[in-house]
Amino acid sequence: MDIFVQILLNSLETGGIYALAALGIILIFRTSVTTNFAQGSISMFSAFLATIVLIRTGISPISAAIVGMLFALLIGVLVDYFVISRAQRVNPVSKQIITLGLIMIFLGLAPMLFGTDPLQFPRFVYGSYSFFGATISYNAIFNIVVGLALMGILFFALQKTKWGLSVRATASNDVVARMMGIPTAQVTRASWAIAAALGTLSALMLAPTNSVNLSMMDTVQVTALLACILGGFTSFYGAVIAAYLIGFASNLLSFYVSSIWSDSILYLLILTVILFKPTGIFGKKVIKKV
Amino acid sequence: MNSKLMNFYKSHKPYSQFLLFGIILSLLPLLVNLGLVKYSLLTTVASILIYSIVALGLNLLLGYSGLISLGTAGFMGMGTYLTAFITADLGLPFELALIISVAVPMLIGVLTGLVSLRIEGYYLAIATLAISEILRKVFVEFDFVTNGFSGKQAQYPKLLGFLQLDRNGTYILIVFFLILVMVMMHNLVNSHTGRALSTMRGSEAAASAMGINIYRHRLLSFAIAVSFSALGGVLYMHFVKYTYPNAWILMLSLNILAVIVIGGVRSISGTILGAFIVFGVPDLILKRLPIIGSIDGAAYIFNGLLIILVILFYPNGLINMRFDIQRNFRKLFKRGEDLNG
Amino acid sequence: MDKMDNKVLKVENLSIAFGGLKAVDNLSFDIDEGEIFGLIGPNGAGKTTVFNCITQFYKPDEGDIYFRTNTGEVENLVGKKTHEIIGKGLVRTFQNIELIRELTVVENIMVGAHVEFKASLFNQFFRLKKTRQEESRIRKRAEEILDHMGLLSIKDMLVAGQPYGVLKKIELARALMLDPKLIILDEPAAGLNDSETLSLVNIIKEIKMERNCSILLIEHDMKFVNGLCDRICAINFGKLLAIGTPEEIQGNEQVQIAYLGKEDD
Repeated sequence: MDIFVQILLNSLETGGIYALAALGIILIFRTSVTTNFAQGSISMFSAFLATIVLIRTGISPISAAIVGMLFALLIGVLVDYFVISRAQRVNPVSKQIITLGLIMIFLGLAPMLFGTDPLQFPRFVYGSYSFFGATISYNAIFNIVVGLALMGILFFALQKTKWGLSVRATASNDVVARMMGIPTAQVTRASWAIAAALGTLSALMLAPTNSVNLSMMDTVQVTALLACILGGFTSFYGAVIAAYLIGFASNLLSFYVSSIWSDSILYLLILTVILFKPTGIFGKKVIKKV
Repeated sequence: MNSKLMNFYKSHKPYSQFLLFGIILSLLPLLVNLGLVKYSLLTTVASILIYSIVALGLNLLLGYSGLISLGTAGFMGMGTYLTAFITADLGLPFELALIISVAVPMLIGVLTGLVSLRIEGYYLAIATLAISEILRKVFVEFDFVTNGFSGKQAQYPKLLGFLQLDRNGTYILIVFFLILVMVMMHNLVNSHTGRALSTMRGSEAAASAMGINIYRHRLLSFAIAVSFSALGGVLYMHFVKYTYPNAWILMLSLNILAVIVIGGVRSISGTILGAFIVFGVPDLILKRLPIIGSIDGAAYIFNGLLIILVILFYPNGLINMRFDIQRNFRKLFKRGEDLNG
Repeated sequence: MDKMDNKVLKVENLSIAFGGLKAVDNLSFDIDEGEIFGLIGPNGAGKTTVFNCITQFYKPDEGDIYFRTNTGEVENLVGKKTHEIIGKGLVRTFQNIELIRELTVVENIMVGAHVEFKASLFNQFFRLKKTRQEESRIRKRAEEILDHMGLLSIKDMLVAGQPYGVLKKIELARALMLDPKLIILDEPAAGLNDSETLSLVNIIKEIKMERNCSILLIEHDMKFVNGLCDRICAINFGKLLAIGTPEEIQGNEQVQIAYLGKEDD
C-alpha cells in the first residue's frame, strides 16, 4: 500500500511535467496546425538561460524560474515573428520540418552560449513530508500544485476569457476567425510564447533530478507527443489526462518491471493502444470532406 | 566515334548521366593515390555518398508520400550493429549480413508503420521518434551484442567469400550501391507506384477513387526508406569499421531530412547536392574558417537555418537554382540581343 | 434486394447523418443500364453526400447500394473500402477538380488505370519487361482517349496551369481508363462557359454511346441537365422530391417550390 501511494505521488509529479509540455504542444497544434517538435529544445534552451541567471546573480530558484519563463515567452514570440508567421502558406509537412530545423538551431546555439557541461538547478523548496508510509518532498508538492494551478488557470482562461475564445475560434477555423475580427496572428504568437513558458517550467521541474543538459528534454518531448496522440490532438483535456496516465504507467513500470526499460516498454504500449484506438482515447473521428 | 558516344549518352539519359557520375566518383581513389587530394577527403566523400543513399530512400517518403520519419538514424544504426554482429561475431558472409541487416530493420519499420500510418501522416514522425529512442536504448543496453558505449568493430567486406576489399575497394562498392539506388529510385518514381504516391500526396480523395490503397502505399514507401537507411548503415559499418550508440542520435535523422529539403524534394540530383551541402560544407569549409570553425554546433545552426530559409524562400530546393540561373542567363542574353537589334 | 434487371445501380433507403443533422434521409432511386441519370437539388440538398455514400467515401448509416459490377454480378457496395470501388466498374470525378499538378496530362490519366498495373515492386525498380509492357500499353490507351477529346497535343504538359475547361476534360478522361459500367460526375459543367459546356455535352453523349455505360451526374445548370439526362431525380434536404423524365421534373410543383421558393398567395 505504502509503495503504491509513493508511486501515485511520484506519478503526479512526472505526469505534471509531461502535461505541461503536452499542453504547450497542443496549444501550438490548435493555432498553427503543426506538431511542434522543437518544444523540448526551446524549453531546454530557456532552462539553461534560467540556470545561468541563477548562477551569476544568486537569486532564488523560483525567481530564476520566473526569469526563465519570461525568456521563454520572448523566445516564443521571436520564433513566431521570424519564422512561423512567415510560413502561413507553407504546407503542414514543411511546417513540421521547420520546427525540426528549429531543434537544430537551438541545439547548436546552446553549447555555443552555455558550454557543453551539464549545470545544476536546485530544488525550489527543500524538506519532505511522510504519510501512509510514503515520503514526498516539499519540492514535489510544490511542483504538483504549481503545475495543476497553472493548468487550471489556463483551462479557465481557455473557457472563460476573450483570449481563450479567440484561441478556440482560431483552432476551429482560422480563416473564419480572421473574418470575424479575431486577431489570429496575435493569438498564434501568444500561443507560441505560452507554450515555450510552459515547457520551460516543466524543464526546470525536471532539472534538479536530471541536471540541465542538452538532452534533458528528449524523453519529455517524446512522451508529451505520445500523450497528445493518446489524448487525441483534437482536445486540450485529452492530452493532459493522457500525460498523467503516462506518468503513472511510467512509474509503475519502472518500479515493478524495469527501471532501464520502463520508457521503452511504455512507448510500445502506447503504440499498441494507438493500433487499436487510432484516434486516441478521447479523440473523435473526423470525417474529411471531399 | 566521339559523336556515336555522345549520341549514346544523350539517348540513354538519365542512366548515362548516373553512370558518368559513378565513373567520376570512382576516380577519387586514384587522385588520392597520386597525391593530388588529401587522404581524408575519401572518407568525407564516402560518408556523403552513404548519406545520399539513405536520403534517397527518405526522399521517396517525404517527397512522394509527404511523410516524415525521425527514425532514420536509429534504423541506420541498427544496420551497422546487425552487419557487425553477423560478420564479425558469427563469421558469416558479407552478402548474407547485407540481406539480414536490411530485412530486419525493414520488418521493424513495417510494424511501426502499421501502427502509425492509419490515421494522420504526422503520427509516423512521432512513432519513429519513439522507436529511435527505444533503439538507442537497445544499442546501449544489449552490450553482449553491441558492446554498449564502447562500440563495436567490423572489417572491410569480403565479397563472394574470397574477394577481400580494401579501403578503396569498399569506397567503389559504396559508389556502386549509390548508382544502383539512383537507378532504382528513378525507375520507381516513373512507374505506376511512383504515380500512385504522387497522386496520394496531391489528393487523397483522387487516390482512393482511382483504387490506390493509401495505407498500403504509405507503408511501402516507408519500408523502402527504412531499407535504404539500413543499407546505408551496412555500408557505413564496413567502411568506417566502427559503430557506437551516440553516432545514431536524432541530429543525424534531422541532418538527413535537411539533405532532402535543402537539395530538393522529389529530385535525385537534388538529394546528392543536398548531401554534399549538409555533410560536406561543415567538414570541408566551416571547420577551416577562423572563429566559426572552432565553435561546436556551428554545423547544426548552419543546416537548421538553411532548412528554414529554403522552405520559406526556395521551397523546391537549391537544385532548382540551375534552372533559375539558366533563365536569368537567357534573359540577359535576350536583353543583349534586343540592345544590338 | 429487388430485381436488378437492366439496372446498373439501385440505391435503397439510404440515410446518413452528421452530428444529428440528416444529410440524406431514406433516399431510394435506381439507374438503368445505358442511362444518363441526373441528380438535382438546391444548394445543400445533399447531392454530393449521396455521391460520397455511393463511392464509399462516407459510410452510410442505413440503406443499401446495389451495383452490377464489371463481371455482371450484383454486389452491395456498403462496407467496401473506398479504393475497392473503382475495381467494380464504378468511377467518379470531383466537384473541385482533383488532378495532380506535378504530373503531366497523360500521367494523370494513366493513374485512372492504376488497378490494372500488376508489375511487382522489384520489376518496377529495374524496369523489367513486364513494367515496360504495361507502361506502354496503358500509355497508349491514355493517348487514345486524349486524342478522342482533342487533347493529344498537350499530353506531355504539366496539369498545373491548364485552363479550367481542359482540367474538367482531363478528369473525365481519367475516369474512362478502365471502361467503367457507371461514371459519376460531380457538377461537370460548373465553371464552364457556353461553348465549353456544349462540347462537354457532346463528349458525355459520345461516351454513353460508344462505351455502353451509364452516367450519374449532379448539376445545377437545369438547361444542361434537361438536354442531357434520360431521367432526373430531384432531392431537397436529403429527401426525395420526384423522379422522372426532364419534362415531368420541370412540371413538378414540389421541385419548383424547392428551387424557386413558394409564392405567397
